Amino acid sequence: MAELFADYDTGPFYDEMFTATGEPRPHYQRFFDRYAQLNGMEELVERQHTADKTFERRGVTFTVYSDQAGTEKIFPFDMIPRIISAEEWRHLESGLRQRMIALDLFLRDVYSDQKIVNEGIVPRSLVESCSHFRKALVGVKLPLDRHVHINGTDLVRDQHGTYCVLEDNLRTPSGVSYVLENRQVMKRVFPNLLRNYDVRPVSNYPIDLLDLLHSLAPPDVPEPTVVLLTPGVYNSAYFEHAFLARQMGIQIVEGSDLVVENDRVYMKRTHGLAPVHVIYRRIDDDFLDPTVFRKDSMLGVPGLFEAYRKGNVALTNPVGTGIADDKAIYYYVPAMIKFYLGEDPILPNVETFLTSNQTELQHVLDNLPNFVVKSVNEAGGYGMLVGPKSTKAEIESFRAKIIANPRNFIAQPTLGLSRAPTVCGDAIEGRHLDLRPYILYGKDVKIMPGGLTRVALKRGSLVVNSSQGGGSKDTWVLADTNDPTPAATEATAGRITL
Amino acid sequence: MTTTSSQSQSQTSNPVAPRSGMLSRVANLIYWTARYLERAENTARLIDVNAQLVLDLDAQQDSDDPRAWEPLVYVTGDEKDFVKLYGETTDERNVVEYLLFDRRNTSSFVSCIFAARENARCIQDQIASEMWETLNTFYLELKQHDYESYTQFGPSEYLSQLKLRIQQLYGVAESMLPRDEGWWFYQLGRYLERADNVSRIIDIKYYMILPPNHQVGAALDIVQWASVLRSCSAFEAFRRSKRGQLTLTRVLDYLIRDRAFPRSLLSAIIAAENCVRQIIADADTTANAKHTFEQLGKLRAHLEQTDIDAVIASGLHEYLDQFQVKIIGIHTDVGRAFLQSEYEEVATA
Repeated sequence: MAELFADYDTGPFYDEMFTATGEPRPHYQRFFDRYAQLNGMEELVERQHTADKTFERRGVTFTVYSDQAGTEKIFPFDMIPRIISAEEWRHLESGLRQRMIALDLFLRDVYSDQKIVNEGIVPRSLVESCSHFRKALVGVKLPLDRHVHINGTDLVRDQHGTYCVLEDNLRTPSGVSYVLENRQVMKRVFPNLLRNYDVRPVSNYPIDLLDLLHSLAPPDVPEPTVVLLTPGVYNSAYFEHAFLARQMGIQIVEGSDLVVENDRVYMKRTHGLAPVHVIYRRIDDDFLDPTVFRKDSMLGVPGLFEAYRKGNVALTNPVGTGIADDKAIYYYVPAMIKFYLGEDPILPNVETFLTSNQTELQHVLDNLPNFVVKSVNEAGGYGMLVGPKSTKAEIESFRAKIIANPRNFIAQPTLGLSRAPTVCGDAIEGRHLDLRPYILYGKDVKIMPGGLTRVALKRGSLVVNSSQGGGSKDTWVLADTNDPTPAATEATAGRITL
Repeated sequence: MTTTSSQSQSQTSNPVAPRSGMLSRVANLIYWTARYLERAENTARLIDVNAQLVLDLDAQQDSDDPRAWEPLVYVTGDEKDFVKLYGETTDERNVVEYLLFDRRNTSSFVSCIFAARENARCIQDQIASEMWETLNTFYLELKQHDYESYTQFGPSEYLSQLKLRIQQLYGVAESMLPRDEGWWFYQLGRYLERADNVSRIIDIKYYMILPPNHQVGAALDIVQWASVLRSCSAFEAFRRSKRGQLTLTRVLDYLIRDRAFPRSLLSAIIAAENCVRQIIADADTTANAKHTFEQLGKLRAHLEQTDIDAVIASGLHEYLDQFQVKIIGIHTDVGRAFLQSEYEEVATA
């Protein structure tokens, strides 16, 4: 065993890199051999420092809300990549495609015939009580008949290494810029590592996203104008908004830059108004249009929703997709796949209990210290109870919240999430991680090979969110060397994308 | 045949900005980024020239005179603010801290760089990423500086480093920014700010003349004018310009009216006028835009016709004060014409 990993202990968890007997898995072997040539931890820590400086200089940061001054922080980056074999990826890809198609069909159905509700597969009360259900959208025809365009699905692996879906993020999934930046920095810090490793490139994502946005434009517009709508520079994901806008060569706008005249959207330019046809919005439905949604919102554009309803402007993601983000609706996705596609789900959900269901509620309340309880509409690791890590008082306070509003929660057993070797101070230790691949759905489903691997940097922690002290890793999806039509790899990417 | 070829030539040699223009908010941010950078640079120049003047005063046994640093506070136009924060003591430490490192002073060097960096962060998608990175790196370093850094390196060395970093930013912008509307707003902000700042640097001499026992044309006077020229990087250029001996009239004429020197008031206004010409070149010119252009033209003519001897006779300070008021007026015009997000008139027209 190489020096660097000499003391590495996989513990009782599934380890991404090593088997239970301490051997590197086959798709990690070459990486293992190369890392063995490094000059120990010292060199690794030194390169880590270079990487951190690079992120800081480039301003690859997120803003921490809790901090009054809106401190920008870099998203800690770990030097040991997560590697996914071609075979594993094929499996993930087919599962994600299947799920995306089912979610789109579900949303289309909910906003039209509501078959799935009428047939009692998903309870009507659940749909109608969902805070992201937009009645105003029922019957509205959308471009390509598509009700979701971008999904960031969070995946985890259990003790046996089985990939499961933890949640979907259909409103405004973020983090894709870190995937692209992580790869850039990895190339700078370990220039020789990626060479000839058959790692598939991620750099096509902005082009695919732009193609998707263009495909949604009203059909009578030959050269549509696409913009990215941001809540502003103080939003925690502003770096990402600017990054994507720059990569796609589109204008980034704030609500105050836009105006609606005669149900058409325009942006305010130095010499007058210019029409806008497609909006990649990075703000939630609630803030889009104060005349329809939240009246107190200063972020949106009065009249935007009517322009949208009339088909004069397209929005990504469409209005109302948030209903499928509801963690109680998530519970029914396997049933949706069965209902709409007649197939078994390729990627299972994590075992989930609905507290809005009487018998499941009782089971959850009886075993609360063993569960992770999540609020159905919260994101970012907020509003959750991690039973085994909580005090008696915290558990009792959550019990009261659940009883008061059972619709608002779901419970999942604590998982032994997979781990991967991670640089922690001056040692390499196993840390829990998840994976968020990004799925685009325009005319077809397109999945970026890889995704954001988030890693819980605190020892033993299961919470990987950046706002909760998580970090990230570069995610390598390996090309299939047996495939007669090989996928592009980082080594060949320059020729293909530039 | 000849006509065709000359036409196509003029098309390629004089490309025009797209008719629709850029987002007003973005134009505003670019304009202000340039203003902040120029202001920061001139603040550094101002301190530099004063530090040198004080060294010259040394020989005249005036070095401990607290008034040696006082003019800087007046010239930046914020004496009330200064007194509120530092009291009446205008020694080097207080003035330098106030002008370079104090974030409570919105025009201090660090505040300007921070503001420029915040603007650039808002428009990272519009400016070259090299420009954003250079500015970001500079800010991250500067954030850790304080008065100790200034004394440790010595004023001259430290300030020339600051100036150099700003010049580096200009260089990156110069080689990276496309010559579209954004570029012209960037240049416009830079030149309007420069015109204002240089007029204030000249004005500092007015305050230096204040001591009652001072004589025009004395040796010290010459030394001081040389320092003012140096603070505008104009000393060598002035010497080469065939204007002869260093006299009050000649120096003022050079700094106010020279067409070739890039930091003269006239050159800055000519450059600003050209920026507005470029911005409105291919657009349906609004009344506000036309007005802005005319005001710049008037100010240029005013500078061209200025009789320096008459100005000296009737009051240099008043002349410069008026000039600064005109710059503020033009700044307001630019805002009204291009940068405000209120488009009711256009939308209904």
